[in-house]
Amino acid sequence: MFFKGLWIPIARPAVLALVSIAVIGCGRGETDAETAQKVYRHAIDGAPASLDPAHADNVYAATLVKNLFDTLYRYKYLSRPYELVPNLAEDFPEVSEDGRVYRIRLREGARFADDPAFPGGLGRAVTAADVVYSLKRHFMSETRSRGGWLWRDRIVGLESDATIRSADQSVAGLAAIDERTVRIELTEPYPQFTHTLAMALSAVVPREAVEYYGREFGVHPVGSGPFVLNRFDEAMAVLEANPGFDRGPVDLAAEGFDPQRHAGYDLEPIDGKPYPLVDRIEVHFISEPSARWTSFASDGGVDVVMVPPELAERVLESRSPLRFKPAIRERYRTLHGLEAGFVYHGFNMANPEIGHSADPVRDRKNRALRCAMRDAFDWSARNEAFYHGLGRVFPGAIPPVLAAYDPPFDDDSVTHRPRQARQRLQSAGWTADTLPPMIYGLEASIQQRQMFEQFRAWMQEAGFPPGHFQPRSFAGFGEYSRAIGQRELDFFLLGWTLSYPDAQYSLQLFYGPNAAPGANSVNYDNPEFDRLFERASTLPAGPERTALYRRLNRMIIEDCVIIGSLSRTRLYLWRPDVRMFPDREMVGGYFLRFVDVVEDRP
Amino acid sequence: MTAPVTLRRRLAGLDRLPVALMAVFLAAAAGVWCGLWGTDWSTISGTLREPPSPEHWLGTNRLGQDILERLLAGTATAFEVGLLVAVASVALGAALGGLAGFHAGRRIDTLLTWVIGTIDAIPFYLFVAAIAFAMRGWPGAMQLAMILSFWTLTARLVRTESMRLREREFIAAARASGSTNRRILLRHILPNLAPLLLVQASLAFVAAVKAEVVLSFLGIGLQDSISWGIMIAEASQEILAGHFTNFIAASLALFVLVLSINSLSDGLQERLDPRVRRTPTERLA
Repeated sequence: MFFKGLWIPIARPAVLALVSIAVIGCGRGETDAETAQKVYRHAIDGAPASLDPAHADNVYAATLVKNLFDTLYRYKYLSRPYELVPNLAEDFPEVSEDGRVYRIRLREGARFADDPAFPGGLGRAVTAADVVYSLKRHFMSETRSRGGWLWRDRIVGLESDATIRSADQSVAGLAAIDERTVRIELTEPYPQFTHTLAMALSAVVPREAVEYYGREFGVHPVGSGPFVLNRFDEAMAVLEANPGFDRGPVDLAAEGFDPQRHAGYDLEPIDGKPYPLVDRIEVHFISEPSARWTSFASDGGVDVVMVPPELAERVLESRSPLRFKPAIRERYRTLHGLEAGFVYHGFNMANPEIGHSADPVRDRKNRALRCAMRDAFDWSARNEAFYHGLGRVFPGAIPPVLAAYDPPFDDDSVTHRPRQARQRLQSAGWTADTLPPMIYGLEASIQQRQMFEQFRAWMQEAGFPPGHFQPRSFAGFGEYSRAIGQRELDFFLLGWTLSYPDAQYSLQLFYGPNAAPGANSVNYDNPEFDRLFERASTLPAGPERTALYRRLNRMIIEDCVIIGSLSRTRLYLWRPDVRMFPDREMVGGYFLRFVDVVEDRP
Repeated sequence: MTAPVTLRRRLAGLDRLPVALMAVFLAAAAGVWCGLWGTDWSTISGTLREPPSPEHWLGTNRLGQDILERLLAGTATAFEVGLLVAVASVALGAALGGLAGFHAGRRIDTLLTWVIGTIDAIPFYLFVAAIAFAMRGWPGAMQLAMILSFWTLTARLVRTESMRLREREFIAAARASGSTNRRILLRHILPNLAPLLLVQASLAFVAAVKAEVVLSFLGIGLQDSISWGIMIAEASQEILAGHFTNFIAASLALFVLVLSINSLSDGLQERLDPRVRRTPTERLA
């Protein structure tokens, strides 16, 4: 009876509501059809855990963060070598004569996107105070920043022992002079400082949103970038054009367009158009290379693919010179280039059994052991097996994309010499019984497992007994990285992607104060290296600095601190109805704002 | 005690093909254990991805390792995992199931039935993966995980069978002649369960081999060893590039071994279990 009485008052409005929804729904369908959206489907090989700029120390997070937030500077879309250009900043910084004080003026009109975190839900103008807050929060414990090391000891008031308890606490070297001017005082000259302001870690965040969302800020990013977040989960992130973003039209010439180099990419039509150029970007997180390829090859799948090395044979006509097959060139747009980074194997130098030892005799003996392992390592076979022979092997840690790259002065460190390895071990007095056992760390993937088997076979060839290297596998990179940070592994494989185009960024991997859990995962501790590194860090670009960088590189080669290195060649394919020039490294996510798709795209 | 004689007689009529195939696999595994072949599975003995040749009958993989060597070593791994898990899980299941069945209705039975139900309620791969992951680093983690998961089915069957047997006349006679519970369980009930346990062991063997392949494929199986699962996982990187030898070799070996054991298991069940035993006329039909 009760239900019967209730039915009529509920049923009528319910029916009306359903009819209204149906009518509105039909109407919306027509509107969508009339104004077809421009959608670009991007694919990357991993999913970020957080989109908070303070956690954007990996390429996956950085790709998205650079589009949701603004950084003061960015890299030009097309210029190579990479060139900085003002982004949120109005111009390049005014730097004092002693190179320690930077004044940066913000551009007018930059606004944070509308969000419930702001009063009335309306975004507000980005101010100098936001820049100061964004840098300062890296040093607040609740941020759990992964980027504090970039500015610690560099900015006055942010020295090693400094802690910031509240966002209101002032920092001597960080000040908002007025609404649009920031003053930053450094402890000493740091010519790479402007580059750090183009990294995703330096992106500008509004304090209201950080406080409003708390720990959830990583999944509710609020920024002033060209896009706003529509969806973010383990499978994909959907970005929509930020209606409040206005940086004027694309100036292709200013972005480094070269009609010869960029011929065939159909980039000219974007010149003079306001950006971002697409309404929506879907970033698909597909870790499995074959799944990424399948998605790209299917209709309605992703628009771009970074070809996995296993498939290089299917798309390449020749490796040297590198040329895609005619069928691939006809069907897709293609691009190849060397990565701005490298992979290497590192020793834990903090382990006195294989690394630094207080006893000079043992120290020499340990060096002989490491050098013997390096001699036994076959980079050429590694390149052939895992990188389709397209990687570039080079000695040390200054990759070929950098101006300071030392043209192979001594290939000895990357040449497979098993006989020399055996001789080294014998002359240093190492025997199968005295060789210290080593823990080899790897992620639980089939590729890393195969790399271990390959490594072990080379070492056995050089005289290391079977079972000498104990593999310890980890479920994910986070766990693996933590084990390296806690110095649990004796030997490990790592990759390093440059965040700015300067050798200082890769040589910091060996700077003593950066020891684990910092970037110096190998725990190299050489006072002479540290002294020269500190000197190089304060020098402006020029021959003196380059010479110092090369000297530092030779020191790590001499000490056999790493077995390395190799820079991978990236092969990109994308659909011909997409206008772009992709870049995974330094330009990274910045290129997405310049991606366009043709109007009559199916 | 006539059961062993009956068992031998019953086993004599099994189909020859699965028995022959099993013998081949067993010989392959035995050769590895004796050090005759399959010991150089990790050695790089050729160049990358060589096609089949007199030196490398099945070619080489992306590292230049001989695929046949790895296949043979993988056979030994399959038998090591399969036999260990089959024997241990059936022994554990028989002991605990027999205990529960013999003491049906008592507290020990309630407790064991609860444990069995609880383990069965956890999805198999989740359970095995959780244990294998929690104990990673220990080489026997995967096998232990499988034993802890597989014993429950045997225990359930043995419990039911024990409850049935304990009501039989010969048990009553044994009890009347003064036999202890332990003696009745070991000398009278368990021997009568032998056919059932043999069939269960063959099923557990197959399940263990398959589970090992899946877990190794997922990267949570064997750590520093070679198995068909690892070979298939390696092949997943190569198939799109058009290299199939690794995949075909390991998959085919797995397929034939599983099919052989399943046929053997069916044959065993047919001959040992009177409830499913068919007459020659039925078999022809």
